[in-house]
Amino acid sequence: MTELKTVGQSVIRKDVWDKVTGEATYADDASLPTMLHMKMVFAETPHARIRKLETAAAENHPGVVAIFTAKDLPSNVMGMVTQDQQVFCDEKVRFEGDQVCAIVAETAAQANAAAKLVQIEYDDLPVLDSPFQAMESGAALIHEDKPGNLCHQVRLRVGDADAALAEADVVIEREYFTPWQEHAYLEPEAGLAYIDDEGRVTVRASGQNTHDDLRQICAALDLPEDQVRVVYGAIGGAFGGREDVSVQIALALAAWKLQRPVKIRWSREESIKGHGKRHPITIRHKWGARSDGTLLAAKTEVITDAGAYNSTSSEVLTNFYYAAIGAYQIPNVSMDGFSAFTNNVPGCAFRGFGSPQATFAAELQIEHIAEALNLDPVTIRLKNCVRDGATIATQSEIPPGVSLPALIEACANELGAEQKGNGWEMPIVESEKPHKRRGIGMAAGMKNSGFGWGFPEGSEARVVLHGQADIERVELFTAAADCGQGAHNVLAQVAAEALNVPLEVVETVTSDTATIGDAGPASASRLTIFAGQAVKQAADQALEKWHNEDRPAVGGGRWDAPLTTPPDPETGACFNSITYAYGVQAVEIEVDMETGEIEILNIVAAHDPGRAVNPQQVIGQLQGGIIQAQGWALTENFLSQGGYVQTDRLSTYLIPTSLDAVSEIKFVLLEQPDTIGPYGVRGVGEIGILLLAPALVSALHDATGVWFDRIPLTPERVISGLQTA
Amino acid sequence: MNTMKINLIVNGQSRSVEAPPGKTLLYLLRDDLDLLGTKDGCREGECGACTVLLDGEPVNACLVLAGQVDGREVVTIEGLSQNGHLHPLQRHFVEAGAVQCGFCTPGLIMSSAALLEQNPQPTEEQIRHALVGNLCRCTGYTKVFEAVQHAAEEVDRD
Ligand code: FES
Ligand code: FES
Repeated sequence: MTELKTVGQSVIRKDVWDKVTGEATYADDASLPTMLHMKMVFAETPHARIRKLETAAAENHPGVVAIFTAKDLPSNVMGMVTQDQQVFCDEKVRFEGDQVCAIVAETAAQANAAAKLVQIEYDDLPVLDSPFQAMESGAALIHEDKPGNLCHQVRLRVGDADAALAEADVVIEREYFTPWQEHAYLEPEAGLAYIDDEGRVTVRASGQNTHDDLRQICAALDLPEDQVRVVYGAIGGAFGGREDVSVQIALALAAWKLQRPVKIRWSREESIKGHGKRHPITIRHKWGARSDGTLLAAKTEVITDAGAYNSTSSEVLTNFYYAAIGAYQIPNVSMDGFSAFTNNVPGCAFRGFGSPQATFAAELQIEHIAEALNLDPVTIRLKNCVRDGATIATQSEIPPGVSLPALIEACANELGAEQKGNGWEMPIVESEKPHKRRGIGMAAGMKNSGFGWGFPEGSEARVVLHGQADIERVELFTAAADCGQGAHNVLAQVAAEALNVPLEVVETVTSDTATIGDAGPASASRLTIFAGQAVKQAADQALEKWHNEDRPAVGGGRWDAPLTTPPDPETGACFNSITYAYGVQAVEIEVDMETGEIEILNIVAAHDPGRAVNPQQVIGQLQGGIIQAQGWALTENFLSQGGYVQTDRLSTYLIPTSLDAVSEIKFVLLEQPDTIGPYGVRGVGEIGILLLAPALVSALHDATGVWFDRIPLTPERVISGLQTA
Repeated sequence: MNTMKINLIVNGQSRSVEAPPGKTLLYLLRDDLDLLGTKDGCREGECGACTVLLDGEPVNACLVLAGQVDGREVVTIEGLSQNGHLHPLQRHFVEAGAVQCGFCTPGLIMSSAALLEQNPQPTEEQIRHALVGNLCRCTGYTKVFEAVQHAAEEVDRD
């Protein structure tokens, strides 16, 4: 590797000083004089036709300035991928978090009180709360134009799976289920809209892409892009849950119509009911292998609960084209995937975008095959995993630089496994306590970075160099959203490196649609790669102009990523992604055979960041992903019944606490530079969350001899599983 | 709505606010005193983002009513630095990489400050117990424990 100065250093993030003093301005911390307050009125019923919306009493409540409903919007639709959701419902509501109208009043208390006076008369419709029920023939239609309540469907065919299964020495057929997951970012939705000095309606909120929000606001309000502005301040976490708009359109509408600042903040309950979740997914796998462990065929069915609207359900299901069979090479694959509308909270983006669910099922299939053939977990993975030159399920060659085999070995070595003869000997762990057992489990995975699937992708940035003889000050403009992951500082490090200046002279001007074009969203592990390339390109251009004596010297524009192609509708064949992140994790647990409680003793996490721009932040991303996986696998039991969310508080939806956090995580970072990102970086935002859940199930099997096919592994589920086994 | 006059000391200064006695300390701080570092993450005492010190004890400001703080002393994240110097906890949170989105950070730092007051050399186990009421969704907590330990070492040296 070439010697780098700033890239590769765990420099301190500039933006966090304000966060430790309380000065950072989150969405709910901005205020303006003469500001009004908004309260959203939600459907509170999962499926019904609106017979009458009666707002007169609310309008007459003291302090109420306006009530906004469907008729106030020139185009009353929204949606990231398909515009299938009304901003304010006026005919029908499809889940309890649908928004019906918004009250604006002089004080928040007045708006809240008036909201209680809004009367919505409904004609109830049958509630479909599972995708299986929704796909039954004769089921009520949630969207009239979507027969069979089918939101999206994918079909993949490679080789002849049936014939290959018939010839396999071992066939494993199982059904897996992974549940909803709530993002539980600590900052609930909030925002402030106002008219700025140039007359633009400006929304200051927390999101994942200012420009996606901008486009949706412009479309709904029928305003040109130069009359709308979206700005992000500090963002209190996102993890995919802020890709869809929440409060942005309603706020913009109110500020635009009233020409006064308007503020809103959701309660935690409103946040949990009002934004999407990780999709619950059922995966049915039938895999066959030769007696030596070589995978021959996979026949797979995937059913996802899209909830009431598409959000990104179609794209999450699309990711299964490659992800359904995990990080393995299987020559014969037949996969059918269905995403069905229900009256549940919409499924949306959540760290991993379908890959945690896919990896869960694929990794357990591998374990079952290994068990049937008496192979160890390392050998079976090394035998079948993707490597350079491999063809993946989309019938395209995997981009070069596949570090997975090296990571499997690195993880095994760190775990204390030993290569012996044809296999690997795993360490044997035993509890000293009679009612407890110990076990070890492992999982490997890959995650695409960037959208892929033929979606044209790029990112914009601008770099301005100030000074005379030397570069004294650098302005870096980017709209990349820093949801807490540290994107701004990482991009500043890339600029400093490209310009060969100290990081201290780089000032970032961020997340304001008035100052810079689209960087693309903070999603798909993509910003360090895609926005990073845009920043590097801008810096290189600015430096060239600097050498040509331009003062200030300005560089920038859009960096376009190499193209991918869309999947063939019959076979799924395509070139789906230009770059992947790889990872392997192992976990040692102790399970209490009497209570069913699982304690994680230690974790080994082997990952390839390509080139860690900021190693401390890379570890931070991985740690954060691992603990979210821990919550998903053990304690986070999101419940919804008949379309009503049961766990709408942090006292009922239990995310990991300081007592749950695993202190023993041994990180192994193998840096094998990639060819797409600047300086060889790979995306690390998501890969950390893919692996712990299947590794835990395998460890539980190692400890008890009992297999589980679903999570969360709550004590009750573990006990009942142990008893029935 | 009935209001009452509430006198309290906030970050070392006497303040007087007219507020309904049922208003929470969280919103007294945020709306009436413009101290926005104390965060609202749940309003039910679960997340700890609103943690402040009330007469030196860490409390969830969302569970304390304005009427209860009359005549008492409150310290918020804004009051933790002294004479323009950051509290060692603040510096070590930054240096250890214990801050990602930062929404939990003021609360975590206030709970940690209360811990170090009582127990200047806490073990990791004691830190975990002291912070159990402060949720963080981003970091996985390990770097938070590190930051508290580093701050404790520094405080001890001084
Ligand atoms: S806002 Fe007080 S504990 Fe969450
Ligand atoms: S840093 Fe985001 S919740 Fe703790």
